[in-house]
Amino acid sequence: MASFDFDPYSILGIAADASAEDIKLALRRAARRLHPDNNRSAGAGVQFQDITAAYELLNDPERRKDYNDYARSQTGGLYFNFRVTPSKRTVALLPEAQVFYLLAEIIPDIRAKESEHKRESRLNLTLVLDRSNSMNGTRMDKVKIAAHQIIDQLTPEDILSVVSFNDFADVVVQATPVTDKAALKARISMMLPSGGTEIHTGLEIGIEQNRKYLAPRMVNHIILLTDGNTFGDEDATIRMAKDAAKDGISISAMGLGQEWNDRFLDDIASSTGGSSAYINSSSAVVKFMGDHVRSLANVFAERVHLSIAADPDVTIESVFKLSPAPQPLSVEQGNIPLGSLQFNRILSVIIQLEMPPVDKEGFRSVARLVASGEIFANRLQKYQAVSDISLEMLENPPSEEPPTSILDALGKLTLYRMQERAQAALEKGEVREATRLFENLATRFLELGENELAAQARAEAEQVAYTNSLSDKGRKTIKYETRHLLLPTAAEDGTE
Amino acid sequence: MKSCPFCAYSNKEGLLFCEDCGRRLASGDAAMTMPTKTIVIPVTEDFPVHSTWGTARFEANSQIVMHIRDSTETVTLIPNKRTILGRNDGNNPQRPDLDLTPFGALEMGVSRVHAAIYRNEDTDTLTIVDMGSANGTHLNGQRLTPEQPRVLRDGDEIRFGKLITHIYFKT
Repeated sequence: MASFDFDPYSILGIAADASAEDIKLALRRAARRLHPDNNRSAGAGVQFQDITAAYELLNDPERRKDYNDYARSQTGGLYFNFRVTPSKRTVALLPEAQVFYLLAEIIPDIRAKESEHKRESRLNLTLVLDRSNSMNGTRMDKVKIAAHQIIDQLTPEDILSVVSFNDFADVVVQATPVTDKAALKARISMMLPSGGTEIHTGLEIGIEQNRKYLAPRMVNHIILLTDGNTFGDEDATIRMAKDAAKDGISISAMGLGQEWNDRFLDDIASSTGGSSAYINSSSAVVKFMGDHVRSLANVFAERVHLSIAADPDVTIESVFKLSPAPQPLSVEQGNIPLGSLQFNRILSVIIQLEMPPVDKEGFRSVARLVASGEIFANRLQKYQAVSDISLEMLENPPSEEPPTSILDALGKLTLYRMQERAQAALEKGEVREATRLFENLATRFLELGENELAAQARAEAEQVAYTNSLSDKGRKTIKYETRHLLLPTAAEDGTE
Repeated sequence: MKSCPFCAYSNKEGLLFCEDCGRRLASGDAAMTMPTKTIVIPVTEDFPVHSTWGTARFEANSQIVMHIRDSTETVTLIPNKRTILGRNDGNNPQRPDLDLTPFGALEMGVSRVHAAIYRNEDTDTLTIVDMGSANGTHLNGQRLTPEQPRVLRDGDEIRFGKLITHIYFKT
């Protein structure tokens, strides 16, 4: 029997018993919004190709029958739910542009049990570890302990490779099944710090190692750990990371201490679906990396992507992943890699969009969102869910309170944006503006009961006022702690 | 453009939080931000002197008149089955029915969900319950055990954190 890796009905947004006429109409409807002549965003192009392919399949009675037979044989598979909540259902007619939000949540199948399905995902893990001179002492020791504990967590089914780098990169452990744990640990223990930091070479060799066992049925992941700045090779590194992401490798980037480039590490992570984090003390390394690897071994679906095609006159202003790991995402890509979907954890993303002035009443579509991912437990791995968002335009819309989930996330996301604005102001030399924003932040932190953060923000405000610059530590603490505030508390985390 | 009520910063239409000070931007619709069952009226009558002093009986058509110390305003409240008193700062998971923010709730240590008044229509009584507030609720000088209801009487003094109020029943 032929096999298919997508669902043409959901792509076209029609029912399984749709008539030939319905199918044509669906294509025309989609073309109006997504055809490259009408919509220039990257996401629209990708989606339009899918829609054309789906249309061609369903338009051919023989292929349509093949698909229906196939779909019937596949029932009983697991899936994820895709829920999109707008900040408002009705939009007021207004002569100026207005902002609205979409909260997109990807929810794993409640029938999926970690105990039953867990071992169906195997881990192909590469550690890329900084061994520059600045790692000397406790840092290096803690990283070694962390690596040892990671090895203890892995099974012979998993693949591990380890690369260390300074000005050059060495393969410490060639990609191999984790069978002889003692030998692997011994190799790691021999790493000696020296030299500078060249992330590009380290990551290049790391990706090469990861590719050796790269497979669709595995979680292919690289953890990059560094404590320093790399110079001049950032752009090439990001390009390389994006290529790796296309093949299904995600990269998480962890910065240790104060001197690393946070924006660079954020970019690596968000363009591959990984996460980035700030580890402020070497003693936190062990727990941090252990937790991270544990979450990788707990994957329901991998290579999850969100694609957003806004209508031609609607613009996407920003996209931010709220959970499981808060992370700013890059807007310019129409197709956003989100990494893994874990058992019992909701993956949620908030999207800020802007609508042009509205002058007539009635429903209008604003965007089409598609979530896709590969579900390990299913034989038909790729699963896709589509959501078309329409809002009603009204002269006098009824007053409506935005959903609590959106309010909650935005209240804290606003604080994250404030610290970004404060830093941008400082870079432009607007010292008073930066001081003022940090003071505002301190006030809000205090009101939220985040006393330590408030103290830190206040200290930064003072530091800025006196020295026109920020402490690296304070800056990173505020940034990553504010981001951390966005994590939903356990009670709000739906399925648990 | 929408101007922030706290810092007057001009925010784009549709934003829910001020980009400058991070506070919740109230919607343009006043009915949404003001609890509907609260009416704030200036003091025109001499409330403390009236005949029902000390009674626990709260009849179907009764209202609570709340005097807040150091404030020239009183709050008239028609309690529901449950009326939550607290401080709304825009981040509340649960919006209080009576928001004490205009009376300096933040400085006085009032929690977001501080206390609740329950109305029992079978027995015509009101009870007050501390909802696990940080700084406690005192009834006539006595601190309430959280989650333990106490009957309210006309003329009672209720202290939310440091915010002192007196309540009177009015028919």
